[in-house]
Amino acid sequence: MNIETSEFHWGMVIDLDRCTGCGACVTACQAENNIPISEQDGIANGRNLHWIRIERYWEGEFPHVRARFLPMLCQHCDDAPCEPVCPVYASYHNPEGLNGQVYNRCVGTRYCANNCPYAVRVFNFFNPKWPKPLEQQLSPDVTVRSRGVMEKCSFCIQRIRRGKEQASLENRKLLDGEVMPACAQTCPPQAIIFGDLNDPDSRVSKLARSPRRFRLFEDLGTEPSVIYLKGGGHDHPG
Amino acid sequence: MKRRSFLQLSGMSLASSMLAGCRKGNEKLIPFLVPPEDGAIPGIANYYASTCRQCPAGCGVLVRVHEGRAQKVEGNPHHPVNQGKLCARGQAMLQELYHPDRIKQPLKRTGIRGSGQFIPISWDEALKQLAGALAPYQQKEQEGLLLFSAPLRGSLARLTGDFLQHFPKAQHLAWEPLSPEWLQQGLFGNPGIPDYDLGNTQYLLSFGADFLESHLSPVRYGHGFGHMRQERQTVRGRYSYIGPRLSLTAASADRWLPARPGTEWALAFGIIRRLLQEKSFDASALQAAGLSVTNVTELVANFNVQRVAEIADISPTEIRATINEAVSISPALALVGEMTAWQSNGSAAVAAVELLNLMLGNINRPGGLYFTPATDAHISSNYAELTGLIERMQQKKVQLALIYGCNPVFSIPSDSNFSAALANIPQIISFASFLDETSLQADLILPDHSNLESWGDIVPPAGTRQQVIGLIQPVVKPLHNTRAFPDVLLALAKGMGGNLAMQLPHESYLQWLEEDLIKRIPDLFIGDRRQQMDHLLQQGGWFGPELEPISPKALKRPERVVSPEFSGAQEQYPLQLQVYASVNFYDGRSSHLPWLQQLPDPMTTVVWGNWLEINPQTARKLGVNQGDLVEVSSPAGKLTLPAVLYPGLRPEVVACPIGQGHQGLGRYADRRGENPLKLIKETEASKQRLTWGGTRVQVRRLAASSGLVTAGHAEGSYHRDLLGL
Amino acid sequence: MTTRANRYDAVRMNREMLSSMSPPTWRWYLLAAVLGAVVAFGLYAFTVQVTTGMGVTGINRPVMWGIYIISFVFWVGLSHSGTMVSAILRLSKASWRRPILRGAEAMTVFSISVAGLFPLIHLGRNWIFYYLLPYPNQRGLWPNFRSPLLFDMVAINTYIIGSTIFLYIGLLPDLAVVRDCSSGWKKKIYAILAMGWRGSAEQWQVFSRGSTLLACLIIPVAVSVHSIVAWDFAVTLVPGWHSTIFAPYFVIGAITSGVAAVITLMIVIRKLFKLEEFLQPVHFDNMAKLLLAVCLLWSYFYFSEVFTTWYAHKPIEWEIFSFMSSRYGIMLLIMMLGNTIVPIIGLCFRQVRRSLPALLVITLLVNLAMFIERFLIVVPSLSHKNIPFIWGSYTPSWVELAIMVASFALFFLLYTLFAKFFPILAITDVREQEEVLLGSQQNGRTRLETLVKEE
Ligand SMILES: Nc1nc2c(c(=O)[nH]1)N[C@H]1C(S)=C(S)[C@@H](COP(=O)(O)OP(=O)(O)OC[C@H]3O[C@@H](n4cnc5c(=O)[nH]c(N)nc54)[C@H](O)[C@@H]3O)O[C@H]1N2
Ligand SMILES: Nc1nc2c(c(=O)[nH]1)N[C@H]1C(S)=C(S)[C@@H](COP(=O)(O)OP(=O)(O)OC[C@H]3O[C@@H](n4cnc5c(=O)[nH]c(N)nc54)[C@H](O)[C@@H]3O)O[C@H]1N2
Ligand code: SF4
Ligand code: SF4
Ligand code: SF4
Ligand code: SF4
Ligand code: SF4
Repeated sequence: MNIETSEFHWGMVIDLDRCTGCGACVTACQAENNIPISEQDGIANGRNLHWIRIERYWEGEFPHVRARFLPMLCQHCDDAPCEPVCPVYASYHNPEGLNGQVYNRCVGTRYCANNCPYAVRVFNFFNPKWPKPLEQQLSPDVTVRSRGVMEKCSFCIQRIRRGKEQASLENRKLLDGEVMPACAQTCPPQAIIFGDLNDPDSRVSKLARSPRRFRLFEDLGTEPSVIYLKGGGHDHPG
Repeated sequence: MKRRSFLQLSGMSLASSMLAGCRKGNEKLIPFLVPPEDGAIPGIANYYASTCRQCPAGCGVLVRVHEGRAQKVEGNPHHPVNQGKLCARGQAMLQELYHPDRIKQPLKRTGIRGSGQFIPISWDEALKQLAGALAPYQQKEQEGLLLFSAPLRGSLARLTGDFLQHFPKAQHLAWEPLSPEWLQQGLFGNPGIPDYDLGNTQYLLSFGADFLESHLSPVRYGHGFGHMRQERQTVRGRYSYIGPRLSLTAASADRWLPARPGTEWALAFGIIRRLLQEKSFDASALQAAGLSVTNVTELVANFNVQRVAEIADISPTEIRATINEAVSISPALALVGEMTAWQSNGSAAVAAVELLNLMLGNINRPGGLYFTPATDAHISSNYAELTGLIERMQQKKVQLALIYGCNPVFSIPSDSNFSAALANIPQIISFASFLDETSLQADLILPDHSNLESWGDIVPPAGTRQQVIGLIQPVVKPLHNTRAFPDVLLALAKGMGGNLAMQLPHESYLQWLEEDLIKRIPDLFIGDRRQQMDHLLQQGGWFGPELEPISPKALKRPERVVSPEFSGAQEQYPLQLQVYASVNFYDGRSSHLPWLQQLPDPMTTVVWGNWLEINPQTARKLGVNQGDLVEVSSPAGKLTLPAVLYPGLRPEVVACPIGQGHQGLGRYADRRGENPLKLIKETEASKQRLTWGGTRVQVRRLAASSGLVTAGHAEGSYHRDLLGL
Repeated sequence: MTTRANRYDAVRMNREMLSSMSPPTWRWYLLAAVLGAVVAFGLYAFTVQVTTGMGVTGINRPVMWGIYIISFVFWVGLSHSGTMVSAILRLSKASWRRPILRGAEAMTVFSISVAGLFPLIHLGRNWIFYYLLPYPNQRGLWPNFRSPLLFDMVAINTYIIGSTIFLYIGLLPDLAVVRDCSSGWKKKIYAILAMGWRGSAEQWQVFSRGSTLLACLIIPVAVSVHSIVAWDFAVTLVPGWHSTIFAPYFVIGAITSGVAAVITLMIVIRKLFKLEEFLQPVHFDNMAKLLLAVCLLWSYFYFSEVFTTWYAHKPIEWEIFSFMSSRYGIMLLIMMLGNTIVPIIGLCFRQVRRSLPALLVITLLVNLAMFIERFLIVVPSLSHKNIPFIWGSYTPSWVELAIMVASFALFFLLYTLFAKFFPILAITDVREQEEVLLGSQQNGRTRLETLVKEE
């Protein structure tokens, strides 16, 4: 679906050699995007609402054990399997390469979630609750989702908007690195780099050309906009 | 903070933005001297710079505030400690501000201690009571006043010091579990902690230092780690971790050396021996530190690869490879952390690693560690002082305890009898924001502001090569009828009159802070002081010039390291318990924040609870499966915990994070999991220094299922292959 | 057969066949009340779901579809029984079809209607289900025609409409009979429903042509409906679903369950209406052979699916099979027994094919197995999809089970009501057959080129 009518194509590079699995990005995203608190029962029943998760995989047995971390968020697939199956265009592709989610239109078929190979779409099984005054933290830039709708990482679209607005107010082009999603912003080892893949000189584009690059489930043809860089023992950065 | 104090300052013009020239911009960095409801434009967010206090590291933050509500905490990109980055705990500080279970006004106990029955009282009444309680201690001979706090630094340390001067016999104990006093008492005894230049090193060796999760300044080290790995054009720093548990920090290592608990130091000796053999050690640094080569040679003479491998129980191949790397890759940097320090032989072990750094020629060079002079007032106590205090409390020598900024009932092992000793104190006054284990014992609670409502400064204890004073400013109006602790001290001074009032005439802590900063920060002498102050507030603090590093002198000769001691008989208690600071909750102070409870523990992916980690081989022998309920018993006590099969752990070791198991601290933390400090058995040695890694335990399976919830699928966690990774 | 000629009396036959429409007995009321209560409880469960949220179901991540979709697919499959079987039999002019036609067609209409409820129940926000409809609106928003869910909606609606018309057209002459036999307000209603059927030659001619045409049309619709339902799965990237064989496999599955249901229905109707003379062992034998054939076909499809997966051994797909056989081993076994082993072995024997109790057991087993098969298609694939870290599993909640049970109750309730208010036996068809048996070709007032003699 490479129908691009915009100068931008947002993308992300996640360097697995830097990611320490610390989880700061998870909480940053939760804070930024008004993600409700999931109680223990909810998580036990598969109703965690985080938009990004750190997957931890074990390898081997003692003493030859390794643990590997894989930050997983919506890959903003260029050929997103979640989009064609949505009967109401609630899951749609925006001209800047984002997989958008229109909460108002979503009727809650959960079809898109089945068809997302990365299993990053989360469903609001109940209405969110914030015991007072926790709700005061909610950001006015992000809709609070009601029960019955699907949601997932938006690449912090509100920040992209804000960045573009700022640039246009100042009558200039958006700078590389000016828009930073909450997860990338907080990541201590700077494992997450976000930017415009259309600009060959952007940091994200340069890193995306690294020999360490790979994308998840490349064979499925989803054309993710999230590019991982292999971790462990690769002595030359991209 | 009173509105009046804002108004005093509100004549000031809205300070210019840090984003140059964006007058119509979306957001501005403004100092909170302009109150939000006046300075804020509806629909437009402002950023306020402040400092995180979720742990002592003191990372700089920018808080996005929208129409008087704090919305998002972000790292301050200009702050030298964290360079715009934050850990999950820092991100979650908003929830402390808006926590539904904060103490909203002064409380007076009505039920028995610990019953949680309080009635709200007014501040006037509370202050009157407090002043009345304090009054007798102004007399010269009157003993029995105790201030128990977390270690204090900067202005608050000075104010507290000045205040307590008027109570001649008062004792101030400033302690918290993860305070690095063991590092300050290491080989060099420099009171400042060196700045480890992780980012520029080529070979990193961590001796039980979980520097990516809880050790000293995790965000700073995390940032450095990223730099070390992939920021430089041609090199990727390598990294090995030695310690019995594959912690989050160890998981990022290229090589994990699973040493027996308390034996990590042997590797340091092994490397030093090779350095001496190859004569590739830094002789001048050794000399400068006042140490002799012969001494060191004698000390490490026997530590060949085989010996090190035997002591630590690691394969000689791995040891040899590590030693080879450490001596051939330069610069190589060694960190030492709590897992090593918390053993009975910890002090010598820490010294061994510091000696290694010295021998590697790491002192004051890029990729090494920089010693800078201690730059600021700081009050902190060591473990021996703490155990001494507990004795005094047991002997009923403490009559009035003021407790601020800490939760000792939770964070001191029960075996040391702190809680029982606390019950001996006739009057306990707490400044807590939450009804935690300690404030539940208080007779009077004068609730403190949350960090985001307070003024203050932070001098990062571990840190930077330049001098840093991080500033804390309120970003929202106080939500509840609370008062900042230093403001209470000033109000007391005023109320108690006399000398005290004369010496502390300040209207507010803000005034004190400003006066104090003027004394400490040279910049404030240049130009318009007001403008300068605004500028500092916008910036998030004062970031001074780089300090001249100093050459450390060794306080003592490096010594032999003995084997660690464990309490509990091996036959009865076959397993060794390692407790560690939780990634999510630090020492347990953040367990009340639902975002952190919900955040899967990075290694086990457990949410909303805690657990006992058991090596799968051991678990098989014990008949324990993932999620089974087990009973852990030590000579000090018994706990019931769900089991997590943890491949990254020595088979004779079990591990449990500190942080859960609160009795109190609000709805999200209360009665969730267990506090492993209840299992720690104190010994004579452990009265002198903290030895939380030295207890043996026994594990018994109780039942099949325990309500353990993990975010990751237990079986799926072993199927990385399916991802084609 | 000659004795029957003596008994032939159109009026008596009408009365006999309309006996099911006589005023209800207390037993009927009891049955209706019990069914109604179960339906009401299901409604209550649904209300709970709508007012609190989908969280009251067992649905989770990764298993975002559960009992509702399983029931949906099952009922859609079942709906193939009637219309399709009836259409096929009609076209193939098997004369013994007559007594069961109506029942089978009604079965289709009710099962497809029940099926159609499930996607609505399943929605997270049922109250805006109409977003799926391509209705003109000020926002100029249209539904996504690429989504199989939209094909579903179109197909299901078409099938509901088509099969209802099919049923209704077949009903016309009988409604006229009922009209003629009743009085008062009933007569008025049936008069309206009979749409002025007078049984003229012209009407019969149109009727006959129309039925045949509809029968021709309804078969592709039925095939397409189930292919489309199969595409809900087949077009996805979900391992285990992503399979080209799914469309024919689903259709065969549906026919299997449909044929089995028709046999069950034949047994029940034969017993209830004492049709031993019409439905003779040979008819069951024939139907059982058909069932045997589709079971063989189904097994072929199923095993080619398994073998391809095994042969290709794509790790994630094989993982799903392994997971299915370990976690849902017993269900898998029942499915194998019910869809393959028991019917294929059992139906090879003439005695079994002609034994009604045996057939009853086998056909019920086939449908149970078919329900399980739907479960095993939906759940294991989702439980262990591509990302091992979030693997999970699924257990339906009471709400889902209540609604599922209520769907069966609703089906039977609708059926019971239908049998009470409409002739459940195709009067004209059966009479026609009587006449055939009598050697009479007279039909109504006209002579039609009609029927093949039985056997
Ligand atoms: N309290 C309050 N009332 C107001 C206003 C206000 O500011 N405050 N503003 C007034 C003004 S200016 C206006 S324009 C009106 C707006 O009033 P409405 O026209 O009611 O607009 P919204 O509230 O935005 O609701 C839009 C609805 O459309 C639904 N929707 C989204 N996509 C589709 C679709 O494809 N088909 C259908 N059928 N529905 C869809 C969403 O679920 C949502 O429920 O409200 C007026 N009333
Ligand atoms: N996220 C989101 N954005 C939306 C919408 C949405 O649903 N969601 N809805 C959109 C729609 S449908 C609409 S209509 C717009 C509404 O957007 P606006 O047109 O901005 O509507 P209001 O917020 O009501 O602002 C009207 C302003 O006019 C002022 N005013 C009132 N009376 C008078 C008067 O007599 N003279 C003058 N000069 N000023 C007066 C009011 O004080 C107020 O400041 O928002 C659009 N934006
Ligand atoms: S914040 Fe960065 S390092 Fe931490 S888990 Fe997320 S991506 Fe990894
Ligand atoms: S990752 Fe999943 S949700 Fe995101 S665009 Fe791709 S298919 Fe859609
Ligand atoms: S759950 Fe919502 S977004 Fe997903 S397919 Fe259904 S309607 Fe579309
Ligand atoms: S890009 Fe934004 S929405 Fe997506 S995971 Fe990161 S913080 Fe969350
Ligand atoms: S490391 Fe400490 S100071 Fe820094 S953000 Fe985390 S909790 Fe706050």
